[in-house]
Amino acid sequence: MKNHFATFLFCAALLLSALAFAPAVHAEDVKMVGTISRLTLAADGKSATAVLKDSKSGEDVTITVTDDLTLDKFKDKRIVEGDEIRCKYDKEPGKNSAKIFKKTAGC
Amino acid sequence: MSTRARRLLSGALLLALAMPAAAHADDQALQLKVEDLTRKVNKIEEKSLGRWLEIGGDYRFRYDYLRGETAPFVDANGTFTNAGNKLQAAFFADPTGPVQNGAATGMNAAMLSGLMTFANTMKGTTTYSGAKNFLGAASTQQMLGGLNNYAVMVPAYKPKNDSLYTNRFGLDLHAKATENVTVNVRLVAYKTFGAQDDSAVTNGGGTPFFADRVGVFDGTLGHVPSNSLLDVDRAYATWSNIADQPLWISVGRRPSTNGAPSNLRLNNERPGNGGTPALLVDYAFDGMTVGYAPDIEALPGAYAKVCYGRGFESGFDKPAGNNITDTDMLGIAVIPIDTDPLRVWLQWNRGMNIFDFPVMSNTAFGNTAPSVDLGSIDWYGAGFMSTLKNIGPGSLNFFADGGMSVTHPNDHVSGQAGFEGLMTGEFFQPEAPTDKTGWAAYAGARYDYTPTRTKLGVEYNHGSKNWITFAPAADDIWTSKLGTRGDVYEAYLIQELNLKPISSRLSKAFFRLGYQYYNFDYTGSNDWVGAPVKIADINPSSPTGHGMQMLTPLKNAQDLYFTFEVKF
Repeated sequence: MKNHFATFLFCAALLLSALAFAPAVHAEDVKMVGTISRLTLAADGKSATAVLKDSKSGEDVTITVTDDLTLDKFKDKRIVEGDEIRCKYDKEPGKNSAKIFKKTAGC
Repeated sequence: MSTRARRLLSGALLLALAMPAAAHADDQALQLKVEDLTRKVNKIEEKSLGRWLEIGGDYRFRYDYLRGETAPFVDANGTFTNAGNKLQAAFFADPTGPVQNGAATGMNAAMLSGLMTFANTMKGTTTYSGAKNFLGAASTQQMLGGLNNYAVMVPAYKPKNDSLYTNRFGLDLHAKATENVTVNVRLVAYKTFGAQDDSAVTNGGGTPFFADRVGVFDGTLGHVPSNSLLDVDRAYATWSNIADQPLWISVGRRPSTNGAPSNLRLNNERPGNGGTPALLVDYAFDGMTVGYAPDIEALPGAYAKVCYGRGFESGFDKPAGNNITDTDMLGIAVIPIDTDPLRVWLQWNRGMNIFDFPVMSNTAFGNTAPSVDLGSIDWYGAGFMSTLKNIGPGSLNFFADGGMSVTHPNDHVSGQAGFEGLMTGEFFQPEAPTDKTGWAAYAGARYDYTPTRTKLGVEYNHGSKNWITFAPAADDIWTSKLGTRGDVYEAYLIQELNLKPISSRLSKAFFRLGYQYYNFDYTGSNDWVGAPVKIADINPSSPTGHGMQMLTPLKNAQDLYFTFEVKF
């Protein structure tokens, strides 16, 4: 058993090391938690804009989402208006591009 | 300019100056009205139920057509009952008899008293060494010889039920209590048509087939048909975004049932951060979790969590005698990626102070309760599932999962199970405690044909001789298929109705038609008490034929099922 457990711990440690050395957050990256107040999918389905109400400041932030995995969740209603989102985005002139856009974790 | 004209001009000028002022006053009033209305709407929105409470649930009708084939065996519990009944009858017919050579021998009373003493001593014997001593005693050997005269031989037969109907109703509540704190509740009633008990799935009146279907207990309540009471299947509070980090803690009656990848055959949503791999755990636990979902772009959806659950609460320590300990489970789950195309899970669990019998009422063994803790079990698991879109006219889902169990028995044996220990020994044949390693594999696929909303799935799982899982709450009638020591094949067809959702975005109605075939290689699937015996080796006519069994050994079983399910 000790061997199995040691192997498991080793794998977990390896994974955590990988996570620890993952690229650091870019200087222009912004993280926020907010509720989707408006979600608009582009007609061609290749992008979407989500207006998030920042849970801290209460301000509206418009985020552009282009990754297919998240767009799929919009399309089949797994992420909808009213959902609380944890988001990391690139702040560019006139546009906030989502790098991470997921429901807040917890169960 | 005449005086008259001058007056007319002055009047017009005054009027022209006054008109914008009036219009401006109107605008201001309108603005106030809009602001007032906005405030009122916001107030109503803040108070509206929909802002903080989601209500959903499901109803399921299920029909099962069940067939099985048993191996012949000697019924251990039946033998004791038979001996007790016959000796009692003899005693009451002739308390001082039988008469030999004109004198009352008092043998009837002595034999009945001897059996009672034997049974009580047996139940009070909780160690391997104690069991060896007890069985080695001359009086015990004499009693065992006598018991043979009352042995209940059960020949091979084919149990069947042409129509088992069940109703299941679940009510789900999701409440946003405060910022970052939610409460989830699921209430479930699961009953058999025409019954308010579990006898339809526990072989009521006969010897049960499997340990997880001896009766309904805390870990299976709401997952095995029992009665129409609405039980709390889940109730837990979660605090998330702790310290503005993707960190959460959650406590309560946990979502530790119906984990991935069972969501495919059950036609449920993916479990998200909740749940545990179905191959290792399917048990309604009271417990808690600490989880962390780091924001790593290269590993979307990644999270890890530490889970703890209590399987049995032993209450206060007793001043003397055998103290039963609490049964606890600790687990670590690492999900390095969780996306549609790929979800990977790694899991380790340890079950500590594993009990011999859970608390159950009115079973074939009477009212049962833990009498001893038998040791601990480690589980290791790794698996993945994937959904590939646009494969032909639909999507392809597939998965593979592997598990390993390693038992660590202590010196304890269960007196109420004939001195069987944690995966060790047979009835009246205790075995020195040794670790046993088992393994299981589980794979399957489902194709979702989008144009007609038809889903076709196949699954296969295999469990080795010493495989033991902790999944008694699985949605299977015969026994949890993932605990089978042998092979299980399943195919199913789901037909969703093309109807517009009304109650929620997840609402749907569908039919499911499926077939399961179990082929059992060893006894004791889903039972950690006692060593597995090869089904083909059971021969009740032979003293070394492993004939005495506590549960009816099944060679194979089939379940043809049909459901109509509505999720709202």
